[in-house]
Amino acid sequence: MKYKSQAVAKLYFIAAIGLFLGQILFGLIMGLQYVVGDFLFPVIPFNVARMVHTNLLIVWLLFGFMGASYYLIPEESETELYSPKLAIITFWIFLVAGAVTVLGYLLVPYASLAKWTGNDLLNTMGREFLEQPLPTKVGIVIVALSWLFNIVMTVLKGRKTAISIVLSLGMLGLAVFFLFSFYNPVNLVKDKFYWWWVVHLWVEGVWELILGAMLAFVLIKVTGVDREVVEKWLYVIITMTLVTGIIGTGHHYFWIGAPAYWQWWGSVFSALEPIPFLMMTIFAFNMVNKRRREHPNKAAVLWALGTSVMAFLGAGLWGFLHTLAPINYYTHGTQLTAAHGHLAFFGAYALVVLTMISYAMPILRGRAANPERAQIMEMWSFWLMTISMFFIALFLTGAGIVQVWLQRMSPTPMSFMAVQDQISIFYWAREGAGLVFLIGLLLYIGSFFVKGESRAFE
Amino acid sequence: MPPAININNQDDLPGDFAIWIFIFAEMLAFGVLFVAYAFSRAQDVELFNASQLTLSRISGAINTLVLITSSYFVVQGVAAIKRGLNKQCAHWLTGAFILGGVFVVIKMVEFHAKFAADITMSTNNFYMFYLSLTFFHFMHVLMGMVILAMIIMKAKRGGYSTQDYVGVETGASFWHMVDFLWIILFPLVYIIR
Amino acid sequence: MSATFTKSMARNVFYGGGVFFFLLFIALTFDTMKVLPKRDNSQNITPAVEHGKKLWETNNCIGCHTLLGEGAYFAPELGNVYPRRGPDFIKAWIKGQPTGVPGRRQMPQFNLTDAEIDDLVAFLKYASEINTNKWPPNIEG
Repeated sequence: MKYKSQAVAKLYFIAAIGLFLGQILFGLIMGLQYVVGDFLFPVIPFNVARMVHTNLLIVWLLFGFMGASYYLIPEESETELYSPKLAIITFWIFLVAGAVTVLGYLLVPYASLAKWTGNDLLNTMGREFLEQPLPTKVGIVIVALSWLFNIVMTVLKGRKTAISIVLSLGMLGLAVFFLFSFYNPVNLVKDKFYWWWVVHLWVEGVWELILGAMLAFVLIKVTGVDREVVEKWLYVIITMTLVTGIIGTGHHYFWIGAPAYWQWWGSVFSALEPIPFLMMTIFAFNMVNKRRREHPNKAAVLWALGTSVMAFLGAGLWGFLHTLAPINYYTHGTQLTAAHGHLAFFGAYALVVLTMISYAMPILRGRAANPERAQIMEMWSFWLMTISMFFIALFLTGAGIVQVWLQRMSPTPMSFMAVQDQISIFYWAREGAGLVFLIGLLLYIGSFFVKGESRAFE
Repeated sequence: MPPAININNQDDLPGDFAIWIFIFAEMLAFGVLFVAYAFSRAQDVELFNASQLTLSRISGAINTLVLITSSYFVVQGVAAIKRGLNKQCAHWLTGAFILGGVFVVIKMVEFHAKFAADITMSTNNFYMFYLSLTFFHFMHVLMGMVILAMIIMKAKRGGYSTQDYVGVETGASFWHMVDFLWIILFPLVYIIR
Repeated sequence: MSATFTKSMARNVFYGGGVFFFLLFIALTFDTMKVLPKRDNSQNITPAVEHGKKLWETNNCIGCHTLLGEGAYFAPELGNVYPRRGPDFIKAWIKGQPTGVPGRRQMPQFNLTDAEIDDLVAFLKYASEINTNKWPPNIEG
């Protein structure tokens, strides 16, 4: 650790991993409810479990992004963090707000929660992923601004690199586009149209800037390749992200009441969206092949390469599968969407945060890399989680294809619930893969507690 | 992609490689849209033929000449800067910039006539493609003009030399792409029946 | 391959390209907002619809169902439930939950009044009349 203030990242990383575990447990509950419908009913109805599952995902990724930026920005800027104290205060505010919100979901009927938290003042709740009560939403804005402020002030007083500028831009976009979560018109079409300005422009826009910056940082560190080379490719890749991704938003506008021309605009540009992901994969492998040093942290290199491959598969390939309007007409809102969502979020965002944690955490704990045995355990957890997530996506894809056929393409279409009975075998298999994922995650957490000879700094 | 890192001595593409990646992406997007146009036209030839007759071929043809001429000016501008003549370069590029402005004005008159007749992207499939393609291209012309303006200002300050004129070539490459796309777009949408 | 490939040019292309495509997106959004009134059935938004949408949101219906294909994929699509089932069936269904059939997926009882259920149905009727480019492919959603 070159700068003392980088230490605040540790808090964020620990919280991220804890919430990640929570997310997976709720995922398993939902997976079981898919086949044993009354499991935990009415204590935890499906909608509550799902809210917790998706909200925890968003929050732990944000914790990961924040921790990563508090770690990498001082090193990039070659100066201490502007205010470590602010970072710590922000951490506790965010953690407590997150915990209270999740407890609210679990313990209070959602309608009462809405009433008590001022949803009557400004309707913002009850929309997918944006279920947070008004005070939580305001809290997220404050936390995001405090984070942005801290990072930008640090960048301004130190060295300005492409990585730190791209990361800051990504954070700025994250904060700005979240503001659309406060806009909820009665007109359902407008509601949905601008809802995507948060959801799509986050995950297929500004978050990718953060992802790119984080991956570029780790690649520079573990390969020793010239910063100049890495940074110009970073710019080129995120250019392609914005070129394809912004108009690519149109692939969500096919069937929600927006004009029909979005079918062309959305199909053409989102069909190109795999390109930046493919470039990222080729780029990451190229950098590792051209490495100028053997970094002792082998696990971090594996996570980084894994991110580039799985992001391409999940976001690029699985996205492309159903992005063209004539295909999406049949697949929209089926298990295929769920398959893509799982693999993309895991491949791009969960993995990049884990990459960053894998690289930074040993250093935060005072060593260049973890002991050999801990690294081997970490690599096992990588393979278990990655392969089981790939199988979750495969099973959901199978479920989706059968669902589309029986419910939407067959000359004698079956009802939704009748189809669900037909595809329960896929859901059982998915739950099995989910259990393997949990084992992988537990192994990952366990790897932090393995003792042994660790490599000191050279 | 990898060769870009290694092979820096073959001089095939003028200008900075970064703009070429952008150009490839743009050509790909336009290419797919052109194919989509042809595909849609095949589905409903009569509608496309009938709607096509309402387009102003004359303004399209004038704009084609305008853009080709502007490309010629840009070529002259690059030739000038290769000899280190900043001022001449700025003059040629200013000519191209003005022609870009002429294109924009003519195009706006054309758009205005369509909007006045209540024609939008939602009118029918032909107009959807016509307006999408031409507006998308129109925005490229505007962006090209911004790039030219930046190069002109730098050239006027004497910012380029016989050693360092990559910036001019980079902008020129983009402008030629804008011209090239129109040369495909014009016959495709305005003429071919 | 080009002789030069500089970071500063890559950066310029990034800024230029990003701004360019965002402006294009704004232009398309502008056109969409102009066209929407012909498609979005907004002329039929009544106070009942407005209240129904709020009930839809504050009971987190999207946590299980899809609406115009967006939401969770645990329970049936409701964008076209109005033509599929009719108002009387929907009202009786909401009142009759949960079914309590062992092993079946359960919908909670939300304790809505008759007036509230009417508003919810009004919202679903409004949603079903939005021009969705003929989606879903059939009445099963």
